[in-house]
Amino acid sequence: MYGRGLRTLSIATVAVMTLALGLIFFYAPLEAEQGFLQKIFYLHVPLAIVSLCGFVAGGLMAIAHLRTRDPRWDMRSYVAIHMSLIFAVGTLITGSIWARGSWGHWWVWSEPTLVSFLIVFLLYATYQPLRFAIEDPERQARYASVFAIVAGAFVPLNFIAVRLSSEYLHPRVLGSTSNLPAKMALTFLVSVLAVALLYGTLCKYELTAKHTRAQLRALRRQLAGESAGTGRTMRRSASPRLALSADSSAPGSAGV
Amino acid sequence: MLAIAPALPLHEAGKYVAGAYVVLFAIVLIYVAIMAVRLSRIERELGELLSSSKRSSADAQPAPPERDLGRAESTLA
Repeated sequence: MYGRGLRTLSIATVAVMTLALGLIFFYAPLEAEQGFLQKIFYLHVPLAIVSLCGFVAGGLMAIAHLRTRDPRWDMRSYVAIHMSLIFAVGTLITGSIWARGSWGHWWVWSEPTLVSFLIVFLLYATYQPLRFAIEDPERQARYASVFAIVAGAFVPLNFIAVRLSSEYLHPRVLGSTSNLPAKMALTFLVSVLAVALLYGTLCKYELTAKHTRAQLRALRRQLAGESAGTGRTMRRSASPRLALSADSSAPGSAGV
Repeated sequence: MLAIAPALPLHEAGKYVAGAYVVLFAIVLIYVAIMAVRLSRIERELGELLSSSKRSSADAQPAPPERDLGRAESTLA
């Protein structure tokens, strides 16, 4: 179910990423002030944008879960946040590398954009321990959804607050102050597309793997002669629980 | 294209840019490695299920007469 179109998506991701790398290093002109160091921005900014959008998407999926009680939405929300955390780690590391090259420091605590992103990251770093701490699958999914919604609402508010703050050290890539030349803007947009496709592909891989494991467990229960309803075991896991019947394609079943 | 492209002005910034792109590559590589471990686990579990399914179906069915087996063998040959 989740694996449909995965091959096409993977090929598209590889193609667009290759194109983006080609544009970054052989098409986009060197920036006047920062020179070659500015090439990091074609990676760092898309990673930040995609991870923040992923956090918000996780919140929207959590709303869908609370509205429909469909465990598949909880699963999607979990995977979106999980993958966004990985991309956020990439954002923080590439940002620190850029800061070291440009400012001479790995981290600057007085810079609002850096610190606000770290706060968002640390907030979402508590998401998985929260899930892990709750045994009951229903409560786990419900609490995680509430967390995802509240934290997802915090992300744009945090972004706006930082934008409104007067002190600017961090360069602006998007908005009226950016003034990107056409070649740089095109390269940047392709880079955003490439990172977004990578995010989508990895999410789809994750969902497919979890769904396949769920189907395997359902098959194991069936073969062991247990009914799908009583076969659910209480295990300690940070990942969402399964309520998978033998027919996983049935509406309301599946999830992971 | 690479042959005719101008040399990249790496200078001092080269190591930082390389470091940043290596980070992304490493993240994707680690993720692919984790997925490979998961896939091998799924494959192993599937193999176990298949063998247990074969065992249970073999236990459920009575052994066929000897002459039938011989006929089956000759058919396969």
